[in-house]
Amino acid sequence: MENTNKMRGITTPVTNIRRKVFTEIAKMAYHDKDLSYIEQLPYKIVPGEVAKYRDNIFKERAIVGERLRLAMGLSLRPVGEHQPLANGIEECAKPEKFYEPPLVNVIPFACNACAETTVTVTNNCRGCMAHPCMSVCPVKAISMVNGRSHINEEKCIRCGRCVDVCPYTAIVKYNRPCAAACGVDAIESDELGRAKINYDKCVSCGQCLVSCPFAAISDKSQIFQLITAIKSGQEVIAEIAPAFVGQFGPMATPEKVFAGLKELGFADVYEVAIGADQGAVEEAHHFAHKVATGEQKFLATSCCPSWSVMAKTWFPEVAECVSDALTPMVATARVIKKEHPNAKVVFIGPCAAKKLEAQRRTVKSDVDFVITFEELMGMFVAKDIEFSEIEVTEPLEQATGAGRGYACSGGVADAISQSVKELYPDIDFKVDRAEGLRDCRKMMTLAKAGKRNGYLLEGMACPGGCVAGAGTILPINKAQVTVKLFKDKSTKHSATESDYVEHQK
Amino acid sequence: MKKLNVEICACNRCIMMGAMDIRENVESLKKLKTQLRLNTQVDLVMSRRICQNLGEEISPVVSINGEVMTNATPESVMEQIIKLTQRK
Repeated sequence: MENTNKMRGITTPVTNIRRKVFTEIAKMAYHDKDLSYIEQLPYKIVPGEVAKYRDNIFKERAIVGERLRLAMGLSLRPVGEHQPLANGIEECAKPEKFYEPPLVNVIPFACNACAETTVTVTNNCRGCMAHPCMSVCPVKAISMVNGRSHINEEKCIRCGRCVDVCPYTAIVKYNRPCAAACGVDAIESDELGRAKINYDKCVSCGQCLVSCPFAAISDKSQIFQLITAIKSGQEVIAEIAPAFVGQFGPMATPEKVFAGLKELGFADVYEVAIGADQGAVEEAHHFAHKVATGEQKFLATSCCPSWSVMAKTWFPEVAECVSDALTPMVATARVIKKEHPNAKVVFIGPCAAKKLEAQRRTVKSDVDFVITFEELMGMFVAKDIEFSEIEVTEPLEQATGAGRGYACSGGVADAISQSVKELYPDIDFKVDRAEGLRDCRKMMTLAKAGKRNGYLLEGMACPGGCVAGAGTILPINKAQVTVKLFKDKSTKHSATESDYVEHQK
Repeated sequence: MKKLNVEICACNRCIMMGAMDIRENVESLKKLKTQLRLNTQVDLVMSRRICQNLGEEISPVVSINGEVMTNATPESVMEQIIKLTQRK
């Protein structure tokens, strides 16, 4: 993989500003501040007179201002026009979902306008006698200038052959971090060379927004509206995705997170792994009846919305092979709405794309709000909830280990494979899987060519699976460990054992 | 052998602002051989709420041998630890 994700899991000024924005917006909602208070927040988040990260403090505050708007669910302001920060805030500050597309936004004046794919000679070049760079260049773009290798930008086709042959590792090829992280090539440039998202291609996985080192990309949030809904006395029930384990620090055991959510005012909390259990069994049946019989070429999993949207739009010829089982988010929401018909459901997950999935016509009435773990952490901090002060006794036993495993790449296929083995022991079950949309595309290309017939294909848009989603807090490798520990601790291990799974063949 | 007691606040706000990253950095020091650690034993604990009553906007908070650091970063904490190990 190219230079993606190197920054993930490290707390940087970028992550800190993002989290402060969520916390301040949550505080504004909890403390019933006048909506014009948002005008003061950039000064609270970026205090003083001296710039810390950019050329001047006014720009730092202006960028935080736009981030605050996005966190409220509002659109960016046009840069060349006077508009107060709070413009339009009355319409959005209501106890119901507010969403103006697009979900993922580049704040243009925060963008560093990094060059598109470039091959550059660094100081390491010794101007060596062999200079193999010149020999291998297919377009003769390299010459010796002042005793050093020099690349003619106009001739260079960015093939990278010179990079591979340099004995001093003196030539580097790099892509803009946002574009490198984007598996569907949706990052283009505007007339000033700044990143611009092609929304026809974007599937809202959110990997660009956690990969931008200049904090120029952000998605929109619904925390303000969610908190307002809770405060207005509505019955709001949370469903939390299986990747949540360990996200909120060493004190926050899964049981304590559930207790903490209730302290935030949620009427009840469900594990989304319940819906994962249901989906695993449903897809096992589907595989046995359709794929194993040869009626359908292969079965691609449906739980990751970025992956399934990519698979359907990039490979329309095989779109019908993508499972139509409900995603765990929707399946769990339906369980909740059946048990609590008047409740509003909020999905809490690691994922940006789920915010868009919840906007689908067929899903809109099931899921009322979607927020991320990072946004939820802002709510916990704003409400001053401390996990170390929460006492819990009851162990969490809603879902099975199989459903809980959905959070990591490989976990979905494992859960379905286990169910197939139990329900249809004689079936030949083959699996291929990919993580990161670029690799997912490669897998689908093979599938389209007929090389994955009879397979289950697990696709995950984020490299590492849901635990690597754009809205996570914990480093990916650590999150994989905590999820596995929780999975192994489950009293039931196979999805077929779930109380929520109906048994039919 | 010198001893350093490093306490990192484990309240929600400090966790959100990067306390775990600081822990990671201090832990990486513990993995070095004793000579490389300048003959120092580093004890690390995550304590609840040592940032309490220190004011607003101070997270993460770290205390090294009782000396409190506010708005701590991996850089500032490691710098302080190296300084203390080298002190005679």
